Amino acid sequence: MHLMRVVIDVPVRINVGPIHPSTHGVLRLVVDVEGDKIENMEAHIGFLHRGVEKLLENRMYMQACPHMEKLDYFAPMSYDELYVAAVEQAYGIELKEKAMYVRTILLELQRIASHLASIGFLCNDIGQLFTAFMWSFKDRDMVLKLLEAATGTRMFYVNMRIGGLVRDLPPGFEDSAIELLDYLSKRIPAYEKYLEKNPVFMERNKGIGVISRDEAKNLGITGPVLRGSGVSYDIRKNKPYYVYEKLNFRIQVRNEGDNFARYKVRMLELRESIRIVREALKKMPPEGSAVGMPIRLIGPPVKNKITITERELPRGECMIYLVADPQRPYRAYIRSANFINLSAIEEMCKGQRFADIFSIIGGLDMVMADVDK
Amino acid sequence: MKIDKNELLAKVSEMKRNGFDYLVAITAVDYIKTVQALYFLRNLEDNKDEVLEIELLPDNPSLPTIIHLFKGANWYERELSEMFGIKIEGRNAKRLLLEKWDGKAAPLRKSFAWNAPYESSD
Repeated sequence: MHLMRVVIDVPVRINVGPIHPSTHGVLRLVVDVEGDKIENMEAHIGFLHRGVEKLLENRMYMQACPHMEKLDYFAPMSYDELYVAAVEQAYGIELKEKAMYVRTILLELQRIASHLASIGFLCNDIGQLFTAFMWSFKDRDMVLKLLEAATGTRMFYVNMRIGGLVRDLPPGFEDSAIELLDYLSKRIPAYEKYLEKNPVFMERNKGIGVISRDEAKNLGITGPVLRGSGVSYDIRKNKPYYVYEKLNFRIQVRNEGDNFARYKVRMLELRESIRIVREALKKMPPEGSAVGMPIRLIGPPVKNKITITERELPRGECMIYLVADPQRPYRAYIRSANFINLSAIEEMCKGQRFADIFSIIGGLDMVMADVDK
Repeated sequence: MKIDKNELLAKVSEMKRNGFDYLVAITAVDYIKTVQALYFLRNLEDNKDEVLEIELLPDNPSLPTIIHLFKGANWYERELSEMFGIKIEGRNAKRLLLEKWDGKAAPLRKSFAWNAPYESSD
């Protein structure tokens, strides 16, 4: 009798993707596992690379906004605003106070919508699909409805204009915003109660993908991922723009550096964003208009003027290094938060179990369109 | 801050010792006569930023790697070499990161026609 011998090379190489490993976009991971433990991992990106930076060099300033929005389809307005702010800085255009308040309010509402989606996706990634995912998407939709009332569209707004916005806030916006914020303030403790008492959620997030404080700095990660590793840095506080200086809020930091800390930072930031919107609505001057310039070529252009614009987007710090030229950018470099955060995944996954990859991707809150640019 | 290519490693490690321990980004701008490489460093404690600018000649430019100082430089350096054709000394990436053709095109250089069809030489 012959016994069949099967020899398996250790470690075993497993391919994940390049279809969505979950709901974040097209990503391929090549993972070497020994048993269930990840020995090594390589991330293959670039499937959504469409050369946005090159496209921007060939679009007039306002034509580029729709391209910017598609970089991060969970926070399109934030990216739109980043680009418009860069152009405003290059041309030395000051905003009216009313426009600053309206932008701050809309950006924070966008952050709320984005963080809610990220919590839903985290639950989706770890197999807790229904309750929390449905809750967060229902609540996100309510925020989107409010943004729709303010801008006219549900997702890709293109409502920023040089020097302000397309239109003023509609009548009754303030009341419906406060009603929504009251509702969300009650919902957030409900999420925490549901998720943090759930043993599956806790097991799959606590102590997973740990990045220490020094490691986080060395890897250059940003946003809630950086703050989850104990580094207190937020552009809204450290380099305040618009009216953030006048508003009362705190940078939320957790020291654990694991996936749970990243989730918790987002939860705490939701509360801070609600506070910011409430206060900004109260302090916003009732008179005046927030409308910016119509779409046309603006001002006498400055050849090769260089500006750096930084903003705290929901997924982390993004920066535009803009070399301005007449009519269109000579070069616009976009530092995207997701690109640098995803580059840390190989470091985070080492030594973890195979199934933890998906919690880690959920905790990083990936949008692949932003990674590939 | 304008520096020379040969000073890069010494300057970055000196700045890292002086608290600039966060690498924001690495990129480049093609000014046709020169290619300018940019290193954005940040001091998180003191909230200070510094940009290192290095002028390179447009033909076969190269830069030393700083990955031993900042792990975050990994993908930035690979992006730089693919998009600008700047060779990173001390690194040989096994495969391309963003590009899916042959890696010889350097699409963000001004000589690359953005709307013309590109034929791979392979």
